[in-house]
Amino acid sequence: MGTETIYIEDAYKHRQADQELGKLFTSWGYLPVETPVFDFFDIYQDFIPVEKDIYRLIDREGDLLMLRSDITLFLAKQMGLSLKNNDLPVRVCYSGTILRHQNREDISKNEFFQTGVELIGKADLNADMEILMLLHSTFQTLEIKPVVHIGSRKLLNAATTNFNAKDKNEIISMIRYRDFDSLQSMFESKTDKNRVNFLINLFQFTGSIDELNKFILKSANPISNEEKAAMDELNTIMDNLNKLDSEDGFVVDLSEVGNQPYYTGIVFQGYIEGVDSAIVSGGRYDNLLGEFGFNTPSVGFSLLLRKIESQLGRKFSLPEYKTVKESNFIDSLKKAETIRKEGRIAIL
Amino acid sequence: MKQNNNKPLTLALPKGRLMEDVSNFFKQKGLDFSFDNRKLVSFDKSGSLKIFLVKNSDLPTYVNHGIAGLGICGSDVLYESGYKFFNLMTFDFGGTTMCISGKKGHKPSGEERKLSVATKFTKFTNDYFHKKGLPVEIIKLNGSVELAPVLGLTPYIVDLVETGNTLKANNLEVLEKLEDIKVHLIANPAYYKLHFKSIKKIVDLLKGN
Repeated sequence: MGTETIYIEDAYKHRQADQELGKLFTSWGYLPVETPVFDFFDIYQDFIPVEKDIYRLIDREGDLLMLRSDITLFLAKQMGLSLKNNDLPVRVCYSGTILRHQNREDISKNEFFQTGVELIGKADLNADMEILMLLHSTFQTLEIKPVVHIGSRKLLNAATTNFNAKDKNEIISMIRYRDFDSLQSMFESKTDKNRVNFLINLFQFTGSIDELNKFILKSANPISNEEKAAMDELNTIMDNLNKLDSEDGFVVDLSEVGNQPYYTGIVFQGYIEGVDSAIVSGGRYDNLLGEFGFNTPSVGFSLLLRKIESQLGRKFSLPEYKTVKESNFIDSLKKAETIRKEGRIAIL
Repeated sequence: MKQNNNKPLTLALPKGRLMEDVSNFFKQKGLDFSFDNRKLVSFDKSGSLKIFLVKNSDLPTYVNHGIAGLGICGSDVLYESGYKFFNLMTFDFGGTTMCISGKKGHKPSGEERKLSVATKFTKFTNDYFHKKGLPVEIIKLNGSVELAPVLGLTPYIVDLVETGNTLKANNLEVLEKLEDIKVHLIANPAYYKLHFKSIKKIVDLLKGN
């Protein structure tokens, strides 16, 4: 699959990065899985945020198919159908292309390369922490320094219990795109005024966990037990990141509510200077696999590898090579072999 | 979390009708800037903004690609671009109305098989009538849309109406207002995330009295 052509230096960088990440994921016990390139559309229909963004085709029998637009989704179906209780927990990693329609003028802009991990069958915060720390190691491996904004779909769910599914999806979109004027009208239809102001400010919040706790204390607005549970989760996670000296790359951002409809717990996206959209997204989704036949919690992230290749460290660049020119082929070959043994590149 | 506060934020402004309003408004808020003759890049006097002048309809493209992190643009142009941005602020100035207009006294009877409309705003027009379930034939024009009914290209046009003077001069009238168009301060989502502290300062400044 693919619409994009990648040339020598870029292709080298891409493959190196993909391989390094493969090694990293394996060392954490995440083993590779492959998902289909296309599948029946109706299986995934309910989990696709914007239907226009996916490529659909019709097979010879007249069934509607779709090209892979999100590996997490295709993986969830695979896992949902094949996993059994005594397999759990399962750690898997993947890398492959996905297609999403985003550009009319240039079809190669519609291809993305997703590399990611899923930890399936663990519902506790340690699993969330494992994924965040593996993400941290992923950045270190790639020698890049993005900032990860962490929010909570759980908090959003807790704050919107009196809205139906359709309104909730609209609320999610309004928060994600910071359309707080529309959000205000939406909340005002079902919530009392004091609480509306509190919620609007809450979902605009971006900053440190201390600042968030201060804001909650100051607002003197009673929060529900479910909302408190979601806050406690964020507190524990940020506290752990702090103890691990890793809090530098993480920000609490409650306008991160997840770009996919299936999230249920923490959600996050990562950003890096010089790239015009999020480079990584992830979070917890505890009900998705259940939709495909096996109900078990899951948490993971996926990185759009091609987006960050211009930012990668030097170790990913094409190394220098030496051209060997001895008087005859046999001598050249022998010389080249000794150079290669030193770990350098020799061409004849 | 550290954010680089020394670098100026990048802001794209549209050439044309909005420019004077924007520059006066910014000046009131203490953000003074001007462009030297034919220059398209400038800084405000405090050095907190690097400002690009771009063609109105290209503005969303620059912001979408993060070349400019922020932009000021009408909702008509934003809608046509199809891109999604953060909407940080809606301005009081520059508002206008998207209208369907035609020759005086030539309202659609409702019995036409389809409406024939000339417009610059093909996406808006298509989506608007599609949502209402009304069949519509759209002809794309790039300017002087009022000519279409005068010369007989299409009986109706969808276009922005501010004063209505151009319509009147061409013996046309507004048949229906379709949508209020407002001017917004937008941000590229990733740029916003990376610079939210300095952006918040600017937005607070612009929103303050």
